[in-house]
Amino acid sequence: MNESEGALVSTAAADSEQKRSRRRWKPFPLAARLLLASCVLAALVAGVFVLLLLAISTLRDATDREAHAKDVVTSAVTTEKLVLDLETGLRGLQLGGNRQFLQPALRSKAEVPRRLSELEQEVVDDPTQLRRARQLHRSVSDYIELYFDLIIDIARDSPEAARTDVALAEGRRRIDGIQDQFASFVAAEDAQAARSAQTASDRADLAIALGVLGLVLSAALIITFGAYLARSIARPVRGVAQGATRLAAGEFSLRLGEGGPGEIGELTRAFNSMAGELEQGQRELREQNRRLQKSERAKSELVSIVSHEVRTPLASVLGFTSLLLHRDTDDETRRRYLEIVDAQGRRLNALLDDFLDVQRLEEGRLQLSSELVDMAALLQEQVQLFEAQSELHRLELEVNGEPLDVRGDPNRLAQVVGNLLSNAIKYSPEGGTVEVLGRPSNGSVRVSVRDHGLGIPADQHDRIFTKFFRGDAATSGIAGSGLGLAFARAVIEAHGGRMGFESTSGGGSTFFLELPRAGA
Amino acid sequence: MLRTAVIAFALALCTTLAATAAGGGRAASSVTGPAQIGISGQQVSYTRVDVGKKNASPGDTEIIGYRLYNRRVTSKAIGHADLICTFANGRSRVCRGTYFLPKGRLVVGGSISYRQLYELAVLGGTGLYDNARGTMTATRINRKPRREFLLFRLVG
Repeated sequence: MNESEGALVSTAAADSEQKRSRRRWKPFPLAARLLLASCVLAALVAGVFVLLLLAISTLRDATDREAHAKDVVTSAVTTEKLVLDLETGLRGLQLGGNRQFLQPALRSKAEVPRRLSELEQEVVDDPTQLRRARQLHRSVSDYIELYFDLIIDIARDSPEAARTDVALAEGRRRIDGIQDQFASFVAAEDAQAARSAQTASDRADLAIALGVLGLVLSAALIITFGAYLARSIARPVRGVAQGATRLAAGEFSLRLGEGGPGEIGELTRAFNSMAGELEQGQRELREQNRRLQKSERAKSELVSIVSHEVRTPLASVLGFTSLLLHRDTDDETRRRYLEIVDAQGRRLNALLDDFLDVQRLEEGRLQLSSELVDMAALLQEQVQLFEAQSELHRLELEVNGEPLDVRGDPNRLAQVVGNLLSNAIKYSPEGGTVEVLGRPSNGSVRVSVRDHGLGIPADQHDRIFTKFFRGDAATSGIAGSGLGLAFARAVIEAHGGRMGFESTSGGGSTFFLELPRAGA
Repeated sequence: MLRTAVIAFALALCTTLAATAAGGGRAASSVTGPAQIGISGQQVSYTRVDVGKKNASPGDTEIIGYRLYNRRVTSKAIGHADLICTFANGRSRVCRGTYFLPKGRLVVGGSISYRQLYELAVLGGTGLYDNARGTMTATRINRKPRREFLLFRLVG
């Protein structure tokens, strides 16, 4: 069994599961699920991008801090160099006594306060470094104010006093202190830069990890989404397409498994509904075709029967008419011939009347009167009429003297009873008793006619009320059109009653009819 | 439970107060650890006792009085100082002085060649500066009136 065939298999368990699945998925149509999945994917990608942006932003901040720290270190080192220029120039003055040495120091002196202020501004966000920078500023200011300027002043009137060990040591001590402070400041800033660099590195690693993780997750989600689309949409659609092909090839009993999300489930259900309709249509077409064939056969049979039934009296009419025309006959013979022609003509007329009556009844065009009919009297009348027609048969009527009133057309009902009596006589050629029973039965009037004649073989029971069906009668030489019982049942049913029979082959038959009792 | 907590709190409070009082006492009695004191001194008197040859000669004595200021805190004098120097030879003189500060005295001594910038040893002290050691560097910051910046670097 291949995949597509597997998708087409429908078992009871699968149907149950599909129904549960349908109920479970019904609130979430396919479009909503696709939208939801897209939203989840978009949210994940957006989340990854946000995390990446945050990581990159943090990385940039860390890099900026590192660069800033380096700028601060550069600024501090530059300022320190200027301070050292002060010290160098002053030492030159102290040791050499030449004021030319002071020129660079004086330029540095003019610049140092501004640089120190800038340094403070650069670390204004770092309280510890700001404190160090302010301390530096104070130390350098003290150096300038309380040593540098004073030594220059002292050197002006006493160079020897300015170059004493005490003076030089004091300068050295102050500068050492300032250098220590610069070193501490720079070390702290370097540490800050190192921390920033480490942070930047960590953030970069985090950004890369997040990016990779996000890519993997996104790829996994996209693959999952694709697999979901393939499983939930492509495969069912392919199954529907294959099903449609097989359906087009005439496999109308095909049904698809109705699982599948939302619209896919609706598609398969619609497909199955369509297949069901097509199968039903095909069945109806076959039934219609069968009926048409049956009708065609009936029509052929009808034509054959009618031809046969018409041909016999018509042949008699033509034969005796020809004799009358071509032979000289005496009056008595001519009269006998004409009576035969008349009888056969009437037979033809009766045959056509019966046929037309049945046809009208079936088409609902036969007009029936609605009168109060006493079936007891009607049975009495018909029994007397038919009793006189056969010397071999004895008709026994039993009505118990009760009125058996029904509402209907007395002529047609008499015709029905006459048909039953006629059949009872015809199909018991050996003669015998025909029992006619009329009695009330549960709000109805039941009439039965029982003979002890040929009976009806069981294989003919279901066709006994079919038009022109005569069973073995035709071959047995029993006259008739095969319309009597069909006409009788149609009339009874038109009166709201029903008609039936019980018979065994060789054991006689009992035909009965039930009509609604008038006033019941 | 509550009673135990109250007793523990009271004990902790008493311990803290006692420790604070002891520390304050020590702080008031002496300075511990390195410290720098930067003040200025304005010369208010100068007396030279000239013995021997005219001008500077061994045995001459300078007696100098200062009024001490800490202008970062107040414009008023915070104390005074006396410095007595005896010339040894040439410019060199041996000096001893006492600086009277608000919370004690600092006694200095040593040799001075030039009064524009000199350094004396801190020999000891009283009050807050009990048993102090270190140096005192004096740098002239003005001629008339003569003012000096005094930087005490104490180590103990």
